[in-house]
Amino acid sequence: MQAGSSKARVLVVGGGMAGASVAKYLRLWGDSVDVTLVEREATYTSNIMSSLVLTGQRKLPSLTYRYDTLQRRYGVRLIVDNVVEIDPVAISIKLASGKRLAADRIILAPGIDFDPVPGLGESSRMPHAWQAGPQTTLLAQQLAALPAGGVVAITVPKMPYRCPPGPYERACLIADWLKERKPRAKLILIDANPDIAVEKENFRRAFNELYGGIIEYRNGVDIISVDPAQMTLATSSGLVRADVVNVIPQQRAAALVANTGLATDKRARFAPVDVLSYASSVAPKLHVIGDSCATTQPMAGQMANQQAKICADALARIFAGQEPDSAPVTNSACYSTITRSEAGWMTAVFQYDSASRVMKPAAASAAASQGWTRKNFEEMNTWFDALMADTFA
Amino acid sequence: MMSSRVALALLIAAAALAASQAAIAQTAISPPGRLLASNCFQCHGTNGKGPGFDKLAGKSARKLFKEMKDYQAGKEGDGIMARHAMGYSDAQLRELCQWLSQQRR
Repeated sequence: MQAGSSKARVLVVGGGMAGASVAKYLRLWGDSVDVTLVEREATYTSNIMSSLVLTGQRKLPSLTYRYDTLQRRYGVRLIVDNVVEIDPVAISIKLASGKRLAADRIILAPGIDFDPVPGLGESSRMPHAWQAGPQTTLLAQQLAALPAGGVVAITVPKMPYRCPPGPYERACLIADWLKERKPRAKLILIDANPDIAVEKENFRRAFNELYGGIIEYRNGVDIISVDPAQMTLATSSGLVRADVVNVIPQQRAAALVANTGLATDKRARFAPVDVLSYASSVAPKLHVIGDSCATTQPMAGQMANQQAKICADALARIFAGQEPDSAPVTNSACYSTITRSEAGWMTAVFQYDSASRVMKPAAASAAASQGWTRKNFEEMNTWFDALMADTFA
Repeated sequence: MMSSRVALALLIAAAALAASQAAIAQTAISPPGRLLASNCFQCHGTNGKGPGFDKLAGKSARKLFKEMKDYQAGKEGDGIMARHAMGYSDAQLRELCQWLSQQRR
């Protein structure tokens, strides 16, 4: 703590699901912390539910969240700027505006970056639409312009990536939409993983039973390069041509995390942390939460929200001279759209294992729905609104 | 001069006071059950007060605990909440139900 100030100072970098949650909970759980949130955009657009924009069921403004409540109700200070550098020794950041800010702790929640896709360059012809916003609109427009009998290709990156069921649910949604809107169209789902990564029973059944004539699922196929001019993909199992190509690239922690020297997991992609406090394993006064950190838990919004609460509670205790909770619990829960009106779900509760010092799923709790229902689709909307309120309101 | 017995008693009392003050300080910073119960907030609202599924704030701890045990036992079907309930120990459930019961509705 700084001399002359009774409050500990925390800087939060990134105002997505993890960053917004930690800013809120640091303030909600104690008035002894001064919180500044640095985010490069003035608003947040939810990735969760954003595939529904592709089928015209949602509009992006309905997925947009502001930081007003965090500021007004919780007293979070917001700075809209880009963080260009973090000093892990001085515990300070440098903003694009040139300003420098120092703190007692910095929490990094900058999300993911994508690996470059060979051949793609700056072309907008093969959007990822994996960070909701202009890319989502672009892909929606390209799908709307798909000729009758056209071909859509979607690529699934190797795990780990943000939102494990996401690419499969997107394929299902689009296939359901193609059925009605684009007769005779096909969807090729090119998966770099050896098999459907999650919720296998549901997705396999959907691909076979609901979308047998539409979805062609190819597993264990790597993307070598793409040619946006020709609309082709060179893959490990040959050339694929399509009219609409949704390339979801390999993912890693945002560059800021790597540039600060924190992305030191086995493949040098994500930041290892102590899951009792989410302190970086290499810089203990920097904490990393959400999709940037390397843990045994899935990279997803609900998980990011819970990691944020563990981090907020741990910091409140640390600032009071105490130890973090020695038995934290997190949970993952999400709904996946199987059709435009039906959904399945998957969930798991993670408990801290003190012997291995990692979060382990409680066996009985790790499960997926058997099939999909309209009721689940309605519950998905309730869940989404609740989660977003718990994060931003 | 203080007898050694009195000194020892005072020492023990002082130690007990310090320990209880430490416990109070810890409780004030992070009340028992709150962090566990925050796993409910994503679907039941911050502090269990909504928006979302059933409001949990201010419900009796006994009733909440029984509901969770019923979910665990499959008496409420095999939905997402049944599976979620299976992730917690009885001690954890008691602690988080207790905390939720103390929240104003």
